[in-house]
Amino acid sequence: MAAAIPKILDPPAFAHMIYNYKLAPGWAINALAITLPWVELLAGLALILGVWKREAAALIGLMLLAFIAAVGINLARGHAIDCGCFDVRDAGKTEAQRLADMRWVIARDVGMLLMVAQLLSATRPSQSRYNI
Amino acid sequence: MRVTRILILVVLAVLCGAVSNLTASRERRLAWVGGYTLAPRGAAAPAPGPAGVTATTPGSASAVTTFSPHPDKAWVEIDGDAAAQLHRQGVLFLDARRSSVYKDGHIPGARSFPVWESDIDARVKALFEEGRDQRAPIVVYCSGGDCEDSHMLSEKLYFVGFDNSLVYKGGFPDWQKRGLPVSKGDQP
Repeated sequence: MAAAIPKILDPPAFAHMIYNYKLAPGWAINALAITLPWVELLAGLALILGVWKREAAALIGLMLLAFIAAVGINLARGHAIDCGCFDVRDAGKTEAQRLADMRWVIARDVGMLLMVAQLLSATRPSQSRYNI
Repeated sequence: MRVTRILILVVLAVLCGAVSNLTASRERRLAWVGGYTLAPRGAAAPAPGPAGVTATTPGSASAVTTFSPHPDKAWVEIDGDAAAQLHRQGVLFLDARRSSVYKDGHIPGARSFPVWESDIDARVKALFEEGRDQRAPIVVYCSGGDCEDSHMLSEKLYFVGFDNSLVYKGGFPDWQKRGLPVSKGDQP
């Protein structure tokens, strides 16, 4: 939810961030910029309220996988970007700082992905012992 | 886990996003940027401006001789020395960065043309309707480095018929680094 608010408040800035990744086709940039933050917000809200927890966790897991892939691809090709995760303003960082940040972003997202896996595992519907 | 519930969350997000964008202020509403490829000129371009209208910016005639029109491409990149020279000659400067950043500081005389904001096409159209000489140079800049907002804006200008868009590659950071004058506020 913390990640969603700045993006919802400033869609053009977030669209710019998505564009900088150089992965999404032009026609998809605005749709992603408008929709993605709300998916983050609603999924986060569902988790906090305990409503549709598994579905919300699955959505967050899918988004984290996409984020890890997007940052990873740019890191692999040496394209330094601001991740636009929690702040959509141009931070004015150097290329080296951005590349270093990208490694941390991947590590952080992998950590959150593990938490999602734990949540999905903990909320797995129990198997009936008679259902052999 | 039910896929239907995931779909409901996504559909809800799409609806919220659409309403949010529609009700956002002009500065925070998205413009349609589209693909980053050169759009074909001609069919969708507006009709030519009033006949007999030429460049109104002082000094633009001499600049034209230095930077001749390039109807085969949307932009030509220039460095800070050329940008400073053109600025002295009174050539039109357009700032492609966000309007909030423009207010914090911009090149004196530069007009705000925030390429990611909702009214960018209206601004380009208004510029076209001023009846400027479409072969006169226009300097476009953004934040330098890997910023491509100025290229996007040049593409829009090219699409409506401006043939001499010059992208100041170093952009505003280079301008500041050179110690050249800076204006603040929302007016040029």
